[in-house]
Amino acid sequence: MAMLTRVERIEAAVPVTVMALDGELDASNYLQLVDDVRQLYADGTRNLLLDLSDLSFIASSGLVALFSVVKVMNGEEPPDPEYGWGAFREVSRGVETGAVQRNVQLCGAPPSVAEVLQRTGLDRLFVSHPDRESALASY
Amino acid sequence: MTGVGAAPAFDAERIRAILAPFAAGSERLCVRVEDARGDVVATSGDMPRSASPSLSRELRVDGALVGRVVATGPAIDERLMPAAIEALAVSLEQLADADRRAAMSDRDAVSRASSAIAAELALGRVQQRTIVSLIAPDVGGYDLASHYEPAREIGGDFFELFRLRRRGHPLGIVIADVAGKGIGAALLMAFARPVIHTALSAASGPADALERVNRILVGELHTTLFITALAGRLDVRTGLLRLANAGHEPPLLVPGDGGAIRPVEGGGPLLGAFPELGVGDVEVQLEPGDRLVLYTDGVTDARNPAGERFGKKRLLDALEGARGATAHDLVATVRDGVEAFCGTTDPADDVTIVAVGRQGAA
Repeated sequence: MAMLTRVERIEAAVPVTVMALDGELDASNYLQLVDDVRQLYADGTRNLLLDLSDLSFIASSGLVALFSVVKVMNGEEPPDPEYGWGAFREVSRGVETGAVQRNVQLCGAPPSVAEVLQRTGLDRLFVSHPDRESALASY
Repeated sequence: MTGVGAAPAFDAERIRAILAPFAAGSERLCVRVEDARGDVVATSGDMPRSASPSLSRELRVDGALVGRVVATGPAIDERLMPAAIEALAVSLEQLADADRRAAMSDRDAVSRASSAIAAELALGRVQQRTIVSLIAPDVGGYDLASHYEPAREIGGDFFELFRLRRRGHPLGIVIADVAGKGIGAALLMAFARPVIHTALSAASGPADALERVNRILVGELHTTLFITALAGRLDVRTGLLRLANAGHEPPLLVPGDGGAIRPVEGGGPLLGAFPELGVGDVEVQLEPGDRLVLYTDGVTDARNPAGERFGKKRLLDALEGARGATAHDLVATVRDGVEAFCGTTDPADDVTIVAVGRQGAA
């Protein structure tokens, strides 16, 4: 099942790129997501809001993608996700020092997706908002 | 190109990919692969100083020496590394064997590559089944059952039921899922399994065990693993089960007295991602007639031809419909339910189900 991504640029208090994920994020498309974010970063995006309202499913590879997205948005090239777990930990070291990722935020995660993020502890990496409006208002 | 009878050449690039999980620039552990002449084909990083302990295993195909795999570094743990090196060596031998067969049988480059990959995957699947599917121990008063079906593309599920070397010989229970696919995930699985096994015997409890494993993965070995894991220690005399959960699906308790099936909640983040887990033990009293069902997301994420997922609801319904069944029948019911649901769709992920039942009437 293909995932659709929609990208919009919103002028909130700061320019925010909103990327809406529609469908299922799994092993078949997670690398594409990282590529897309890499392109956005190259094009100048510095605040990324991932709108997960229509994300019906996230697999473990999707979690890997979220880690990689954080890495890209920190201006660092993520490693090959098959092998580069070490780099992911550098991201989590930021968590250890209390540095939640501000340049990638999440909104609208449906209960099934929120549950996976919470269960695996990845929710602690992100600021999460109930919906797009409240997220944009927070910038 | 090697001549007849000479050592088959290893594909250095492919081996480097296999060694990559051991890399991450660690000066505490280095794994290298040598060919039959002792020349280094690939290495996971810089060699530690020569005073470091090392472990090596010959690589043989049909009895002929084709090379050697060597692990060196202060992080080598005599109890843990042999299993990891063995798994790595077997994979490398399979690669060498597949390459040799392909080279002998067909000069065409394309079919050579595809037959090597096919052989690799087929052998990998057999190997993985062997690693994962150990026979459950006999534990008086309990029945234990499991089902494990690896996906076509090798995944990283594993589980284990074993008696711990501690007073009272409690039952150790482990189920885990390495994120990712392919031979890398399978190798990481082969590495993590004995680490968790040993930790569960040595630690004060399951949470302490997972904390130790996480510390090894994150800080010590610099092997980079990303694993959800559930570890438990069951006092078989009293039925008291202590569980710790690192990002895994909560197990389901099916009470023998007809009470509602409930997930055993509580836990922390997955292994390998954060420096500290901060998980605690959760206690579950298994009464006679109670069943505990553990599973991986391959069960709930299994898809039918219409693209729907099996999901928790169907899992709970299947368990509800098999109330009073033995652990074995409970596992069979879920397995059959998933297979019937998927129909002709190939499983995209490993499917693992484990059940622990305390015998007796509620």
